[in-house]
Amino acid sequence: MKSSTHIMVVDDEETICEALMAWFVKDGYKVETALSGEGALEYLQGNDIDIFLVDIKMPGMNGIELLSRIKEKQPAAAVIMMTAHGSIQTAVEAMKLGASDYLCKPFDPDALSLLMERVMMQKTLQKENTILKERLLEQQEEAADVFIVHSEQMRKIFSTVDEVAPSSAPILITGETGVGKDIVARAIHLRSQRSYGPFVAVNCGALSESLLESELFGHEKGAFTGAMKTRRGRLEMADSGTLFLDEIGEISTKMQIVLLRVLEEKQFLRLGGSSPVSSDFRLITATHRDIPPLIKEKQFREDFYYRINVIKIHIPPLRERQDDIPALADHFLKRYVEDTGKHLEGFTQKAIEHLISYSWPGNVRELRNVIERAVVIARGYIIGTDELKFLDPGKLSCETPSGTLEQIEMNHIKSTLASCDGNISHTAKKLGINRSTLSRKMKQYQLTTLSMAK
Amino acid sequence: MGKIDMTAVSVIAANLQAILGLNTQILPVQPEPEYAFLARRGQYDGGKILHALAAVSDSSQFMLAVVSVDIFTPILTFVFGESQLGGKAAVVSLFRAKSKNLEQSYNRAAKIAIHEIGHLLGIVHCRTPDCLMGFSNNLEKLDSLPLRFCQACEFEARRRLRHLFGEPGVKAP
Repeated sequence: MKSSTHIMVVDDEETICEALMAWFVKDGYKVETALSGEGALEYLQGNDIDIFLVDIKMPGMNGIELLSRIKEKQPAAAVIMMTAHGSIQTAVEAMKLGASDYLCKPFDPDALSLLMERVMMQKTLQKENTILKERLLEQQEEAADVFIVHSEQMRKIFSTVDEVAPSSAPILITGETGVGKDIVARAIHLRSQRSYGPFVAVNCGALSESLLESELFGHEKGAFTGAMKTRRGRLEMADSGTLFLDEIGEISTKMQIVLLRVLEEKQFLRLGGSSPVSSDFRLITATHRDIPPLIKEKQFREDFYYRINVIKIHIPPLRERQDDIPALADHFLKRYVEDTGKHLEGFTQKAIEHLISYSWPGNVRELRNVIERAVVIARGYIIGTDELKFLDPGKLSCETPSGTLEQIEMNHIKSTLASCDGNISHTAKKLGINRSTLSRKMKQYQLTTLSMAK
Repeated sequence: MGKIDMTAVSVIAANLQAILGLNTQILPVQPEPEYAFLARRGQYDGGKILHALAAVSDSSQFMLAVVSVDIFTPILTFVFGESQLGGKAAVVSLFRAKSKNLEQSYNRAAKIAIHEIGHLLGIVHCRTPDCLMGFSNNLEKLDSLPLRFCQACEFEARRRLRHLFGEPGVKAP
């Protein structure tokens, strides 16, 4: 670490520069010297310095001015100010401008070595921190990959997420159960400036009102029977991070009033507490319910709705974005194949069509569970319709075909051929026509059995 | 140089010979380095003593001055010793090494001398605990160090000595 640390000594007295350089070189550092602030800045063009030792009193650019210029150019560098005339006021000014420390010349050997140890420790932590942040970012990107987007609707949602993530504005995510509202909330958190802070999720629908209150605000020791010790609430835990309140449509109007006040004041009291607690969090809420009708029915407060609905993101159900189904199915297949150690290579075309035509009332969550089950029961190398038999046929979507009569006829023949693995006799039987009629029509539509056999 | 305890000088020379395998020669006592005295600080500038020492024409590879006065560098309030990294001249001050226990005083002087000769061999400060090439910012630290280098510094010292002399054999004042 030391030999790679680059130090620069800036002092108008050559003897000081030489003496410091000699000491630092003996201590194993790489050292540069400059006799003026201007000289130091010139060296900085294209060179990085880890630690600066800067004399405060210099002709031309003084040390304080140089300090602020260094902080502009290399904010991560540590700057130690030196002076022969100790003045508390200048020291305070230097520290305010970001100096790491302040030394009076000549230094006590103890002071210099202790200071260098401390600065080096800071630099090590800084470097480690940068590396860890980079690693975390990589992991976050991997986590975001889970959200497979192929459809245009989801691409749009993700571009919205990218746009709104950096701000601190409250976000309301709507969509049916199982579409992945929590994953979108997490994705927003990961892309925000609060990504290094905590992501605290609370499912409001799963808790009774009094439990939710204690969960959100925490409580002081003895606030109620069983409150054996003081407990921090989720609002407090989310400080400098993101608070995700799922199923917000389920909370009572009383709780809405309390939360509204917290959102306005960013302060609240623990249950049984008397001193206010501050917490700086970004609020993301989610619901599967349509809120405006609830407002009409006086079940949801309009003021609270406008407070949480600054930015709205609606995630369409899976049946409205069929393009995502094959990609998601592949993704879950890979995951469960890894988990179970089975050798499964993919889906048959028919299985994919089967998945696409299903209405997915449980959305992505249901698809994930279906794939998990299919992987468990699969016996071959590929998942076919046999492994998906348990899907409720009543929920297969019956879309009205669109297009000309000829197109509809061609598509129907094509899909029937595919479902019969290209077998002409079976297809003809299924379509209720004879073989020669089928052959004629296939010729007319330029269909071949080879392309149908999967 | 100056009014000096010759026993300390002999102890230093013996230790340099025993520990580093250097041939040492004690030169006649020189006058106090008044040219290096800075009245404002009431101390002697170690850098100036080194300059003067390096300018002495002598065939020795290294020149080590032993002084009884307090020495400083422009940046430090005091130093136990000073040397030119990879150079010829080094100085040891007995001023702060003094103790009521004579053995302790001589031990400290020998440690400072070996540390400074380590610098003349081009070795920088070492962070390995219990290595004489560690920087001693106070007497407590100096006393806690053993009279030897760590394995890595020892290897480096031997390598450089071999490079300089082939096999051990040199004079020092």
